[in-house]
Parts: sequence; structure tokens; C-alpha cells
Amino acid sequence: MKEETGTIVENHHIQNEYYLIKMRADHVSKQGKPGNFIMVSASSTLEPLLKRPFGIFDLNPPYIWIYYKVVGRGTRLLSTLNPDDKISILGPLGNSFPVLENETILAIAGGTGIASVYFAIKEYLKNNKVSLIYGAKSKNDLNFLHSLETISLAGLYLYSDDGSIGIKGVVTADIKKIINQHGITITISCGPDEMLNRIFWIIKDLKTDDYASLEAIMGCGFGICQSCVVETRNKEYKQVCTDGPVFKMEEIQW
Amino acid sequence: MVDLSVDLGFIGLKNPVIPASGTFGYGEEFLPFFNLDLLGAFVFKGIYKNKRMGNPPPRIQETPAGLLNSIGLPGPGMKELKKIIKRVYQSTSTPIIINVCGETDQEYLDVAEYFDRMEEVAILELNISCPNVKSGGRCPAQDDKHTYRLVKQIKQSVSTPLIVKLSPNVTDISAIAISAEEAGADCISLTNTFLGMAIDLESRKPLFSKIVAGLSGPAIKPLALRLVWEVARCVHVPVIGMGGITTGQDVLEFILAGATAVQTGTINLIEPSASIRIIKEIEQIMKEQNLMNLRELRGTLKT
Ligand SMILES: Cc1cc2nc3c(=O)[nH]c(=O)nc-3n(C[C@H](O)[C@H](O)[C@H](O)COP(=O)(O)OP(=O)(O)OC[C@H]3O[C@@H](n4cnc5c(N)ncnc54)[C@H](O)[C@@H]3O)c2cc1C
Ligand SMILES: Cc1cc2nc3c(=O)[nH]c(=O)nc-3n(C[C@H](O)[C@H](O)[C@H](O)COP(=O)(O)O)c2cc1C
Ligand code: FES
Repeated sequence: MKEETGTIVENHHIQNEYYLIKMRADHVSKQGKPGNFIMVSASSTLEPLLKRPFGIFDLNPPYIWIYYKVVGRGTRLLSTLNPDDKISILGPLGNSFPVLENETILAIAGGTGIASVYFAIKEYLKNNKVSLIYGAKSKNDLNFLHSLETISLAGLYLYSDDGSIGIKGVVTADIKKIINQHGITITISCGPDEMLNRIFWIIKDLKTDDYASLEAIMGCGFGICQSCVVETRNKEYKQVCTDGPVFKMEEIQW
Repeated sequence: MVDLSVDLGFIGLKNPVIPASGTFGYGEEFLPFFNLDLLGAFVFKGIYKNKRMGNPPPRIQETPAGLLNSIGLPGPGMKELKKIIKRVYQSTSTPIIINVCGETDQEYLDVAEYFDRMEEVAILELNISCPNVKSGGRCPAQDDKHTYRLVKQIKQSVSTPLIVKLSPNVTDISAIAISAEEAGADCISLTNTFLGMAIDLESRKPLFSKIVAGLSGPAIKPLALRLVWEVARCVHVPVIGMGGITTGQDVLEFILAGATAVQTGTINLIEPSASIRIIKEIEQIMKEQNLMNLRELRGTLKT
């Protein structure tokens, strides 16, 4: 974990509100692990005040990639960055997905949740079988389909709420079936809380080991402000930024 | 060479910059960023007698140039903190300040006495601005008589130097500051966060479970500066100023207003090494203005 100044290489507008930033970040690109996140600020003033958390979508030293959706002030400012612009970064932060070998893994991503599992999927593919369930509102919200088709996944299942691409429905529709069909041993999920909640109740009695990457409003990202807490099943609070963002699903109070 | 040292009377500090309670963890979290020996002192996050969970989320909301928080002072309790203090003490010679909290006067006293016995603790900061659950969110610092009674009681039983940290949520801050001084406070620090609130329009509910929350950050700097100026004029003990400090220039403004030292708060969350940058900026400005030491500047506001 370090403070560093990144340099924008490319801020690619994918479609609608979606962007993919490639930036030079010497430290994070060397130290980042799948599941880690970074805090970034595109502002040279203190407005907006807080840095924003983003998963490391991918890395290849000295570069990292951040996939983001414009939803408010901070992400709108990010979208205005041009090549050679500077960006302040704190990272890499948080824990990471477990290191696995010879497992049959299912990744489940909802919307921008793909950002936090893509890097893990690429790593896992080196020594495991990996399938992916990926869904969003419509085809305008599902990106990277081309690269996902080329990375030799054991299975790729697309869902959209409106049926404009893949199967019409939510990502949780066929999870059990897919788990049985592939003999899945591990699941990793990232997406809206509601989706994670549904996943938990569907798979809690299966024999899979289940991990989820959570989101929370973060004041600092490195364990100081205690703002990012999530309630666990034994009625304690854990900090998403330092105890997570990756948790075993059964730890969390869903 | 400019001299950045300041004298609080009961202790000298190598510079006036002290990271504030609740924004600096237990100091050790900042070791990846800088050597703690570079700081004037630092304050641990507030501690109560027993372990506390804190408030349910959401606990913060960003506001224009500010931060609203309703963290609710979670912590491990004083026995557990003792171990942490001993550990952190090994990593630095910078004075450690313990931020003492309580829901009752007795609890404040118990916590203060507990840490009074530790040689690793240089200073106690009495956080009389924590909301008291029993009296409906009010805190001792909102009542001059309560402030006097509590500070007096604690001064009678502890020998560690005592800073009293004031709340800005009062009509007459001078009255509270004078009460604290008369009761024996060795130093006054201010300001804690300003009460504010946030509303979720969709649900028509307050955003925070405790309804009100505390505002900090650059947004409060002008308000804090005014309070520090007012208090520094009416007490004789040193004053530690804080509220929205983000630059060396901010620090020198607080010193002009009468503060002897300052605390950096919210900025530590956003830029972990901010306090070190701020110390460098102070040094730079002093050089530019041919100031040899900070005494020359303190309280010299031309009004
Ligand atoms: C560990 C982690 C990883 C994330 N990874 C990604 C990612 O890879 N791609 C992506 O598009 N988004 C990601 N998010 C969500 C992203 O942080 C928010 O979309 C972003 O902070 C919104 O900022 P804003 O200023 O545009 O929105 P505003 O609504 O203006 O933000 C106001 C405040 O709320 C916070 N906030 C708003 N939405 C969220 C949210 N969903 N999660 C946490 N804080 C939020 C902001 O940080 C800010 O403090 C991640 C969140 C976390 C916690
Ligand atoms: C997240 C957070 C936690 C805080 N916790 C404490 C605390 O435990 N004890 C205390 O006396 N003040 C606490 N404060 C108040 C700060 O110490 C400081 O008085 C206030 O934030 C104003 O300074 P700033 O504007 O520079 O942040 C906290 C502030 C924040 C933002
Ligand atoms: S974001 Fe500050 S503790 Fe997690």
C-alpha cells in the first residue's frame, strides 16, 4: 500500500456510462492481486473531498486498468481525464481472492461487478477450470464480451433483464443447474448487494466454497475511519476495506 | 534554519502538527507512509471503558468540501487499548495522546485514571464533546457547569497533562473554555465536529441511525478558525486549533488566531501523508516570510 501518482494512458469510452481507464501506476501494478482495490481521485483540488474505490480490473506492469460506470460526481470527473493527466492513487488495498489450483470455479458478476472478478478469472484460468455467469440490465450494460469469449472459459452464461442479450432474466436464475453441470467447487461473486444476497440463499446448502467481493461507502480505504462496516453472522462489524472486500459468504449477515 | 518547535507548557513538541483523534487510527496504520517521529504528537481514536460496536451503517456521507460522520466511536475497550499503546510506543518517540471518552462522568474518570498510570501515555485529551446517549445526544461540553465539574474531578485524580477538547455546538464557547481552564485544564483543543444531518428524500428518513451526525473537513475551517480565535483570547492555557486544516497555510492562520499547535483531521483519511506535507509547507512559508519561530507569529492577528 502506497500513495502514488498515476498517469492516464487511455480513458476509453466503451458505451453509454461505461469507461475503461488504462493508467501507468508503478507500485499498484507490481503489488496488486486479484480482488484488491484502489482509492483514486481525479481532482487536483479537494472537491470532491473523498477518493473513490475501484477494483483493479486488470494489470500488466507498469499499467493497470479500471473499469467504471459514471454514477455521480467522482466518476463523472474521472470520465473527463485525458492521456497524460495525473491521478492520485492509494493502493493496492484490501485482501484478495484465494489462490487456487485444480479447482472448478464459477465466477458470478452483476454489472460493474465484472471489474472485481475479471483479473481473478484470468489468474485462475492458469491452473483451474473457470466458468462465468455475467448479467446486467441490457446489452448496453454488458461489456468485454469479445475478450471473455477468447479467454477459454469452460462456460460463459450471459443474462439481461430485458432479454436484449443472452438469457432474459437475472444472473441467479440457473446457478444451481450450472454448479451441478460443471461440478463447481468454488464460487466468487461480485455485484449489487441484492444479487449477492440472492446468491447466498441459493447456494448456501451446496458443497461449494463461496466468496463475495463487497462494496461499501468508504471514507479512507485503509482502515482508519471505520465507515465501511458490514455486519457478520456473529453480530460483529467487519471493515470492508481491510477485512475485505473479499469475504467468505457464510461470514456475512445476509 | 527555521524553528518549528512549540511549547505547550507541560510538554514541548518538535512541530505544531498533531493528527487528530479518529482520523489517525492508532498511528501504526500510517507506518507504511511515514515515520511517526516526524510528527509533533498524535492522538489515538477515542476510547471508552468497554468494547463498543459503533453505529449501524451508513456511517458517513460526503458533503460539499466536507464529511458527515456518525461512526459512533467503536473501539476495543481500554484494557485492549493498553496492549496497542505498548506496541505503538515501541515504534516511535513522538508523544502519544489518548482521547478519553465516557457515557457518564464516572466512565470518563475510570478511563482517565486507567491511562494515567501508563508511562507510554504523554497526554490525555478529554473528549467532552462525545454525545452522551443518556442525555439525548448532549455532551458535557455543552454545559459550562458540567464541564467544570467533570474537568475538576479528573484533574484531582490524574497527573498526566490534560487537554480538554471542546464541542463547537454551543452558543458561547468562551464560557465553556473558561470553565475548563478554571477547573484545571492544561490545554484546550477545538473544535470537534459540527452537528449536521442528512436526509434520504426517497425514504423520507434521516440517512443516519442517530439522525444527527458530525461535520468535518474544509467546509468547517472558517467556523473553526473563528472559535479558536475567540477561545485563545479568553484563556491563558495553550490552545490547539483544528477544523478543516489541509495545508501549511491553514496551520499558520490558526496560529495567527492564537493557537499554539494544531490537529489535522479529515485530510488524513484522504491523503495519508498529508501531515508531513503540511509540516514541510509550514517550514517553506516561514522561510519565505523570514520567520525564525512560531512564537513570533502566534496570536499576532492585526485586528
Ligand atoms: C471495493 C470497491 C470496489 C469497487 N469497484 C468498482 C469498479 O471496479 N467499477 C465501478 O464502476 N465501481 C466500483 N465500485 C463502486 C464505486 O466506488 C462507486 O461507483 C463510486 O464511488 C461512485 O462515486 P461517484 O462520486 O461517481 O458517485 P456519488 O454517488 O456522487 O458518490 C458519493 C459518495 O458515495 C460513494 N459511493 C457511491 N456509490 C458507491 C458504491 N456503489 N460503492 C461504494 N461507494 C459508493 C462514493 O465513493 C462517494 O463517497 C467499487 C466500490 C467498492 C467499495
Ligand atoms: C471519522 C472521524 C472520526 C472521529 N473520531 C473522533 C474521536 O474518536 N474522538 C474525537 O475527539 N474526535 C473525533 N473526530 C473529530 C476529529 O478529531 C476533529 O475534531 C474533527 O474532524 C475536525 O477536524 P477536521 O475538520 O480537520 O477533520 C472524528 C472525526 C472523523 C471525521
Ligand atoms: S473506508 Fe475507512 S475504515 Fe474502511
